[in-house]
Amino acid sequence: MKYILMMNASKGDWEGFAKWSKEDLQCNAAFMRNFAKELKESGVFVAAEGLGWPNEALLVRAGKDRDPVTDGVFPESKEFLAGYWIIDVENREQACRIAARASAAPGPGGVPGNIPIEVRQVLGGFADLGL
Amino acid sequence: MSRTARRLRPACERAKFAPEREENVKYILMMSGSRAGVTGYHAWSKQDVDAHMAVLQRINKELSDSGEFVATQPLSPIEEAKLVRGEKNGVPVTDGIFPESKEFLLGYWIVDVATPERAYAVAARISAAPGPGGVPTNMPIEVRRLVDRAGER
Repeated sequence: MKYILMMNASKGDWEGFAKWSKEDLQCNAAFMRNFAKELKESGVFVAAEGLGWPNEALLVRAGKDRDPVTDGVFPESKEFLAGYWIIDVENREQACRIAARASAAPGPGGVPGNIPIEVRQVLGGFADLGL
Repeated sequence: MSRTARRLRPACERAKFAPEREENVKYILMMSGSRAGVTGYHAWSKQDVDAHMAVLQRINKELSDSGEFVATQPLSPIEEAKLVRGEKNGVPVTDGIFPESKEFLLGYWIVDVATPERAYAVAARISAAPGPGGVPTNMPIEVRRLVDRAGER
């Protein structure tokens, strides 16, 4: 079963992250690289991506003529996706164990960030939805 | 692969979809919805759902044909969503309680395009997919650049 592990963060969280020391950022990046390597070696890795900063995020709707109408105004409470992993595992418990490892990625001073990771099953395609 | 596919297309056709450029950028187009929005969707007629999905499948096909398609993925029902944190001993602590206002990711597309404007145009097409009675849903689609891991953190 495939699961997506999503790391979300508010604008305030991103601003905090931007203030981390170089050592803390390097320590976090080293953890993430090692984490991805372990996922690959254990055969559960499917995909992982990091997203650009929230100040680049836009909301797009189709206008009356179906041309894109863009808007960059989000509610203050909005959680922005920072990045995700897709893993192919036996069951949800295994997905949660891996999510807990991602949650324990080191923050300032090497202290585990304990950020919440949203765990959702991903579907094979529209066929899985009966469509 | 997507780049090769684009090169193989006749120049005139290529220009229509994605002007050739050295540095293409990947964007993720995210469709999200609240619990209330999803409940509303479940009340759509089968005919409306089929018409909506047919348009999304056509968009996927066009993106594949133009060499801009990278990935698309629907997510399972939001009732299954869990929040996980690591305890001190590394044991997962799970929680399924989300604020009522939470926007859940319903699905996404990743496209490899020459300009951000092209990503917005694709997002607008997804937003214009028909809803009940064939009226465009006009759902907002969040567009974000994917970070090139070789360069940025």
